Amino acid sequence: MLLLVAIHLVAAAVAPALTRLMDRRAFLVLALVPAGSLAWILAQTSTVTGPDARAVEQVTPWVPALDLELAFSLGTLSWFLAVLVTGVGALVLVYCAWYFRPGDPEIWRFSAVLTGFAGSMLGLVLSEDFLLLFVFWELTTVFSYLLVGHNPERKANRRAAMNALIVTTFGGLAMLVGIIVLGQRVGTYRIADIVAAEPSGAAVTAAIALILVGAVSKSALVPFHFWLPGAMAAPTPVSAYLHAAAMVKAGIFLVALLAPAFADTPLWRPSLLVLGVLTMLVGGLRALRQHDVKLLLAYGTVSQLGFLMAIVGLGTRNAALAGVAMICAHALFKAALFMVVGIVDRSCGTRDLRQLTGLARRMPVLLVVTVLAAASMAGIPPLTGFVAKETVFAAFEEVARTGDGTGLPSWAGWLVLAGLVVGSLLTVAYSLRFVWGVFADKDGAELPREPDAIPAGFLAPAAVLAVLSLVVGFLGRPWTTLVEGYSTAFPAGEHEEYLALWHGFELPLLLSAVAVAGGVVLHLQRYRTEVLQAQFTRLPDAERGYQWGMRGVDRLAVEVTGATQRGSLPLYLGTIVLALVLVPGFALVRQFDGLGDVVAWQHPAQAVVAVIMAVAAIAAVRSRKRLKAVILVGVAGYGMAVMFVLHGAPDLGLTQVLVETVTLVIFLLVLRRLPAYFSDRPLTIARWWRVAIGVAAGVAVGGFALAASGARTLPPVSEAFAREAYDFGGGENVVNVTLVDIRAWDTMGELSVLVVAATGVASLIFLITGRTGRVRPDEAIDHPSRWLRAGRTLSEERRSVVFEIVTRLVFHMIMVFSLFLVFSGHNEPGGGFAGGLIAGLALMVRYLAGGRHELDEAAPVDAGHLLGLGLVIATLSALAPLAFGGEVLQSAVVDGTLPVLGYVKLVTSLFFDFGVYLVVVGLMLDVLRSLGGGIDRGAEAEAEDDDPSSVPDAAPAEGIS
Amino acid sequence: MNVNVIIPLPVVLPLLGAGACLVFGRSARAQRLISFGVLSAVVVIAAVLLVRADTDGPQVVHLGAWPAELGISLVADRLSALMLLVSTVVTLCVLAYSLGQGVIEFGRDTPLSVYFPTFLVLSAGVSNAFLSGDLFNLFVGFEVLLSASYVLITLGGTGPRVRAGTTYVVVSLLSSMLFLIAIAATYAAVGTVNMADVAQRMDSVPPGVQLVLQLLLLTAFSIKAAVFPLSAWLPDSYPTAPAPVTAVFAGLLTKVGVYAIIRTQTLLFPDSPLSDFLLWAALLTMVVGILGAVAQSDIKRLLSFTLVSHIGYMIFGIALASELGLTGAIFYVVHHITIQTTLFLVTGLIEVRGGSTSLDRLGGLARSAPLLAVMFFVPAMNLGGIPPFSGFLGKVALVQGGIDRAGWLSTLVVAGSIVTSLLTLYAIAKTWNRAFWQPAPEDLDDLDHRWSSGTKSGERWGSVDALSNLTKLPTAMVVPTLVLVVLGSSLTLVAGPLYGVSERSATELMERTPYISAVLTDDTDAGDDPSTAGGE
Repeated sequence: MLLLVAIHLVAAAVAPALTRLMDRRAFLVLALVPAGSLAWILAQTSTVTGPDARAVEQVTPWVPALDLELAFSLGTLSWFLAVLVTGVGALVLVYCAWYFRPGDPEIWRFSAVLTGFAGSMLGLVLSEDFLLLFVFWELTTVFSYLLVGHNPERKANRRAAMNALIVTTFGGLAMLVGIIVLGQRVGTYRIADIVAAEPSGAAVTAAIALILVGAVSKSALVPFHFWLPGAMAAPTPVSAYLHAAAMVKAGIFLVALLAPAFADTPLWRPSLLVLGVLTMLVGGLRALRQHDVKLLLAYGTVSQLGFLMAIVGLGTRNAALAGVAMICAHALFKAALFMVVGIVDRSCGTRDLRQLTGLARRMPVLLVVTVLAAASMAGIPPLTGFVAKETVFAAFEEVARTGDGTGLPSWAGWLVLAGLVVGSLLTVAYSLRFVWGVFADKDGAELPREPDAIPAGFLAPAAVLAVLSLVVGFLGRPWTTLVEGYSTAFPAGEHEEYLALWHGFELPLLLSAVAVAGGVVLHLQRYRTEVLQAQFTRLPDAERGYQWGMRGVDRLAVEVTGATQRGSLPLYLGTIVLALVLVPGFALVRQFDGLGDVVAWQHPAQAVVAVIMAVAAIAAVRSRKRLKAVILVGVAGYGMAVMFVLHGAPDLGLTQVLVETVTLVIFLLVLRRLPAYFSDRPLTIARWWRVAIGVAAGVAVGGFALAASGARTLPPVSEAFAREAYDFGGGENVVNVTLVDIRAWDTMGELSVLVVAATGVASLIFLITGRTGRVRPDEAIDHPSRWLRAGRTLSEERRSVVFEIVTRLVFHMIMVFSLFLVFSGHNEPGGGFAGGLIAGLALMVRYLAGGRHELDEAAPVDAGHLLGLGLVIATLSALAPLAFGGEVLQSAVVDGTLPVLGYVKLVTSLFFDFGVYLVVVGLMLDVLRSLGGGIDRGAEAEAEDDDPSSVPDAAPAEGIS
Repeated sequence: MNVNVIIPLPVVLPLLGAGACLVFGRSARAQRLISFGVLSAVVVIAAVLLVRADTDGPQVVHLGAWPAELGISLVADRLSALMLLVSTVVTLCVLAYSLGQGVIEFGRDTPLSVYFPTFLVLSAGVSNAFLSGDLFNLFVGFEVLLSASYVLITLGGTGPRVRAGTTYVVVSLLSSMLFLIAIAATYAAVGTVNMADVAQRMDSVPPGVQLVLQLLLLTAFSIKAAVFPLSAWLPDSYPTAPAPVTAVFAGLLTKVGVYAIIRTQTLLFPDSPLSDFLLWAALLTMVVGILGAVAQSDIKRLLSFTLVSHIGYMIFGIALASELGLTGAIFYVVHHITIQTTLFLVTGLIEVRGGSTSLDRLGGLARSAPLLAVMFFVPAMNLGGIPPFSGFLGKVALVQGGIDRAGWLSTLVVAGSIVTSLLTLYAIAKTWNRAFWQPAPEDLDDLDHRWSSGTKSGERWGSVDALSNLTKLPTAMVVPTLVLVVLGSSLTLVAGPLYGVSERSATELMERTPYISAVLTDDTDAGDDPSTAGGE
């Protein structure tokens, strides 16, 4: 059975190619797929139907973790549905081969989607795993969405497709929850097992209610019925197949499937009977006021679906028999009638019964087909519809008389029966209206064009269905036997019904007669009823309710989004900080029980530095001038360096000082292009809020630190660092060994951060200034003398020759010193990072002294190359130990005596450190070039463009403010 | 030699590649070759790691051969390896897509070739975050990927991008600071940052302080994962970036946050699932996020909101703190990485084809670009939770877990997740109806509106002319997208094994011992006593 479904899906996949090859005749080939499936299903008839039916099962594992299996089963009920799905499917595909015009450019899509639908529908009725059933259930919804939107140019069509999708998916999702509640409770998702387990309880009742929501929405019962008439936007073959024979039956099928176990659940019968009868009446009445015959049929379908739901939901043996019979009868006549509508539409160019006239004479064969199908719909003997409807009435009569095990009070039984008779009366009336509307001669009506002849192949599918509607009516006995495999799942009643044309003069026959007579009267009085109905158009309307609801959702969405998505960065930051204060802060307060032993400081100097830092930080926040703020932040940073030193970490102190210096200079370089003052202050209230949140956050973080360090009972791992660093890492400088060996992996990551930061800054600045940072032979410094030639590019008042010369003198010394720091770093303060920063500072001084050309003179290399090379060296030295059988980043000590240098102890992590050095130098060079030289050049260009006398510093920067 | 030496390679190789890209900065060809080669190799490595982790338990390497307590360990357990594999496959596809886009940087005269090295560094950072067995190194991984993302999000330096980038950078810096505070507090309390060791030592910490640490970490990660109410930054910053950048961000970055939440919650704080708290967060994230999506009229922004919303599903799974919930969350992460990336790439194609991502400007694409329509529809339905796609399968486990956990709150969240699913479908159907079905608005003056198309979502990078007049999509961009569409759809086919791995991951996470003992008990060859093994 998996194979059958798979073949459908494969056929759907190749359908576009096939249509390209054969145009609309491809449908005939595609029809072979459901036809073949039908053959297989028919071959199983003797096994899966009849009194000793036995389901054919097939299980393939799929997702065991979810209890989701590709479990298929062909039982009696699914046999009937599968026959309908494949049989009508094949006929509809044949019908399509004439319905579409030759060369229609859209049918590649249509054919694929329709075939895919056929496969999903077959999968649905064959599913034995409840989740799998849901899978196909939703697939049919999606395919239906695509088919309804086949002609998406019209707004109404798009909206109808959307409505159908949302309404049925809403029900579907409710059903999914119901399925999962059931499945988790019973411990299996096999439908047969769930039905056999007959679970009960409040949760099960809720689950069943949810599943019924799914069934009711899929089968277009009140209050979800409105999507179905809207779905008539689809091409007529779709209406015949999805919206008459197959998809809308899914809900009915599901109810029928579950009825043996759950019909006694509270809510089940009341809700299904009430909704069913109500839908039957509403649909029938609506059908009577339609002028579009397709819409007439659509409302007729709504009505019949209500009828079907009432029967299969009743849950007695007789009702089961009647329900299956009615499902079959409905599929046969309704699909045929839709096909007739399609034929008329194609041939006459209209579906409006006010325009259609005189077709009885011109299309006699079509008339016969229509009359057969419509008579079956109306329940006229000897057609299938009559046989089925008789049994329905009998089943309800039984319930009304004896209860038939349902526990329904007698009055309820009679009431439902009365409702159904009235519904049947309406059915007769709209059946007449349909035949009259399409074929009768009408005064004043005029066809928009002369009807085309109807090809035999176009008519054949409808004719087959109509003839079947006639023939099956005579096969009551064998039919009854076939159904027994399903109906015997219900307890036997006092009175066993069977399908037959003649039961004798009993109540059902009388009721049928009443319905037919009443329907004829109603049709004859059609103008009066139309006028009457027009009075009631203002009644509450489910569709309006739905639209109102969706508009509500849209409005809610806008409101909520407007409230949460303010687009304000300060607000987002405030939210985050507030979350920090409230969430972990709450936990902090809750666990607080006194401060414990707090050591205020180890050295009074710490307190002094802390106060200075705090004052600087507060002043920085209060500062209105950018420059002042930056310098104050710098003060806090230097304070941190002092703290490090006071804690006995000179290495960290050194690095912190260097970083602080570099940052300060870079800030200053950028500030040249920013306004001197921050933008306007926020309003007072907002400011107080900010102060409050800021203070709270500070207190909270302080509290975290206090609580956390107070909780420590175990020795930290760092206590072992000093000894291990020397023994295993080969260095005396713990900080450096940590950086390049113990935690070199972190360092490598941070190196890439530096590289990325450098490239990012450069790319932004040069995009904004529109220049490239590549080193090029520079005409500006083309001067015969190489000495201090770059400085000549500066204007006289900005040039300081003394500064330039001093810089030149110390530059190389500093560079050597920076390298020295790299080599000595393993044992003494220093290391690649500090060394790189010092080299960078040297470059910075060159830049400050002689401008950007001087920088190029000092370092005539592409910063990108330095960065890249540094990263390559670092990563390669990380990988190198692999070649010697070590771990990544493992270091080794090599020592020996070299000539001249004497004893040398080399730790291989030095190479890594050298990579660090190069990256840092590259970063510095890049930043100087972009934030220094790049901005200079931009400013110079602007100054030239604007007014030669304007000061470059005052020019506002764009983009990064 | 121990096979585990390959564990660091998903980080080292991209970094090496990034360096090499910078060295060969002038040769676009060399950069492409390097990037593509490196990431392909990483995919293979990740696959090997997943197989090994699944068959032999967590794979550990102690970097520099330092003992676990001192140095940094990288751990590839099932969860890490799975995340690694999915993320690298997706990254590779995005890279291929941007190769196809071609104009990424060479259309402009940038000082350094930026895109490829940065992209590789991003990949290294993501891999590092997944593999790290060390809390501080996890922070470094975050820093690496974040700093790369700062560069990528402002690529091209247009006004909207710089503005969006500011929001992104500042929020990310704040979140990093919180993470750092959390790490400092953790170290202060337990005296180590090795996660396995932290997990062991956490028992020595009073429960009240444990809760403080847990919430600190959770807050920091929730910003990165975009959990409501810490999520507002995301839809304001993602959509303006170039398509492949947004795609890779959407696919990976938030999920790294989710990964970190899963890892720390299960490993460090197994006895304090904070279920009720997280259930509320999940519910609000889902519902508020999806309402945001419904309110949008630009595809990129809409997708950014669905991104936030569906993070809620993963939080839901974590909150359940049951094996089923975690299984669902892990599966959903895999699904979401793939699908969200795919959709952003497709949106990039839509922008190329239709000249815009605004629903007010697009139209008629179903007819004019059928392949594009299929490429959008399938992953979009997947995102909308339509079976049989992975979005549905992920939800099933979560709903099952939610139903299993009795109580009104989890029932409420189940209802919320269903509503979210429906609204996701609604938002997607709206997009489909307007961009693909509705006839295109009158192309009054075609050229004009194409030029101004970037106003809402940032100007396109590179030369606008080159892209906007394409009636045929560039194959080199279509193929990687198609590969991702197929991959995303085939998650359905491999759902059985994939769920199997997810389930075993969840079991492993709940047990904790495999992870801890793999890290802390040294294997034979990594167990050299540091005092005796001074060198080779």
